[in-house]
Amino acid sequence: MDYLRKKMLELLQSMGDFALMVAKSFRYMATHFRVGDTLIQMDRVGVGSIPIVFLASIFAGLDMALQFEVVMAPYGARALLGKVVTTSIIRDMGPVLASLVMSARVTAGISSELGMMTSTQQIDALRVMGIDPLDRLVAPRIFAGIVMMPILSISGDFLALLAGLGISMAVGHVPAPLFWSGVRDALTAQNLTDAFLKPLFFGFILTSIGCHYGMKSASGAFGVGRSTTKAVVSAAIWILVANFLLSKLLINIWGLSG
Amino acid sequence: MIQFESVSLGYGDRVVVSDVNIEVPDGKTMVILGDSGSGKSTLLKGVLGILQPFTGKIMVDGEDVGKLNEGELLLYRQRIGMVFQEGALFDSLTVGENVGFWLWEHTDWSDDKIEERVRTLLRFVNLEQVIDQSPDALSGGMKRRVAIARAMAPQDPKVMLYDEPTTGLDPFTSRSICDLVRQVQSEFSVMSLVVTHDLHDAFRVGDLFAFIHDAKVILTGDRKTIEQSTDPFVRTFLST
Repeated sequence: MDYLRKKMLELLQSMGDFALMVAKSFRYMATHFRVGDTLIQMDRVGVGSIPIVFLASIFAGLDMALQFEVVMAPYGARALLGKVVTTSIIRDMGPVLASLVMSARVTAGISSELGMMTSTQQIDALRVMGIDPLDRLVAPRIFAGIVMMPILSISGDFLALLAGLGISMAVGHVPAPLFWSGVRDALTAQNLTDAFLKPLFFGFILTSIGCHYGMKSASGAFGVGRSTTKAVVSAAIWILVANFLLSKLLINIWGLSG
Repeated sequence: MIQFESVSLGYGDRVVVSDVNIEVPDGKTMVILGDSGSGKSTLLKGVLGILQPFTGKIMVDGEDVGKLNEGELLLYRQRIGMVFQEGALFDSLTVGENVGFWLWEHTDWSDDKIEERVRTLLRFVNLEQVIDQSPDALSGGMKRRVAIARAMAPQDPKVMLYDEPTTGLDPFTSRSICDLVRQVQSEFSVMSLVVTHDLHDAFRVGDLFAFIHDAKVILTGDRKTIEQSTDPFVRTFLST
């Protein structure tokens, strides 16, 4: 019982620390925006992730088109391939897959970097120099995640659609104009809202969780390794949880139309 | 003056040092001695306001550190130079950027003026030649020297804190770091608090000494007081 109570208190403390970190970071973004640091982080978080996100998106597009083609062909519904592939990619697969891939790269990178800085007292050195690490280190990373994730995800969605088109033409013999007409049908306000909003939240989740665990990291290789693992696992779980909640919320708002 | 008045400090609910009463007069260097894990570095964290005292108060230049709010703490810390155990240099920056970091953050000086100040500081620690190098390329002793230069970047730090500045260094390098600590104190008349477990280094840099054992300060005084002490722990420490 004591163990459970202790764990519960630790969890509450951690959630409180996280909320405080996020609130202060947003305040710094609003009051003391660091252009240089933020651009560096946008490059590292966003530009540096282009190859891995694009590669994952292309293969996701290929696979989705292939699977849907197999299921839909017996019903003579190949004409709907463009719409189905587009809807599933831009509403769910694209943002979730890009974010999960990003969490492996960005969350792990942020957590281990800040963890090492904590471990080697560089974070303390910042505080001693009168600089809040949330201002200098955390706010630019969270902002970069929020801005770059939608850009990466939407670009990845586009590549996934191109890959889907390739498979639909090659395997399902669907003419390109028919596929594109399905794509156009699927580009509804509801789907586009999903495509933009979800990665925005996921970008926040994967950077803020990386920062949280990095700043709380214990010393030494073991401590940094452990906090990095926790950060990546937490980010992945919270992305999936947030995806479901956002899907539910957006369906409630927009209704069930696709 | 730095004053610890009946101070207890620790982490979470664990008390590391209790009932500490020590005083560092202006322009003097006090060395905190004690075995590993005795809470020496914890006292420095108290002076920096990173840890809040459970009881008592820490006064620096008449200011109660425990009563400063977050914004005031950030300003207060700008007047303090801190040299961390292994330098704590920012490994994403060059040596010159490390030393100039405070100036870029807190002044509106031009790049040329900052570079001039950085070169002056690096000359002071005899390391101007490594200005463009990464901290990773430096030896342990060089890192400590750069850390001292960085800690002095504010024009007039009132207080210098050194956390085990010679740990892990060879005797020759240790001696040169001790000489540098003395030089900083004599040239800039700062109050210094040095934490170490090395008695030879302590006597090289200190004017006053405080021994910590079993979470308590068991003895304070000048070198003569220390050498004449009959406390068993101090005697053991002196004989090793």
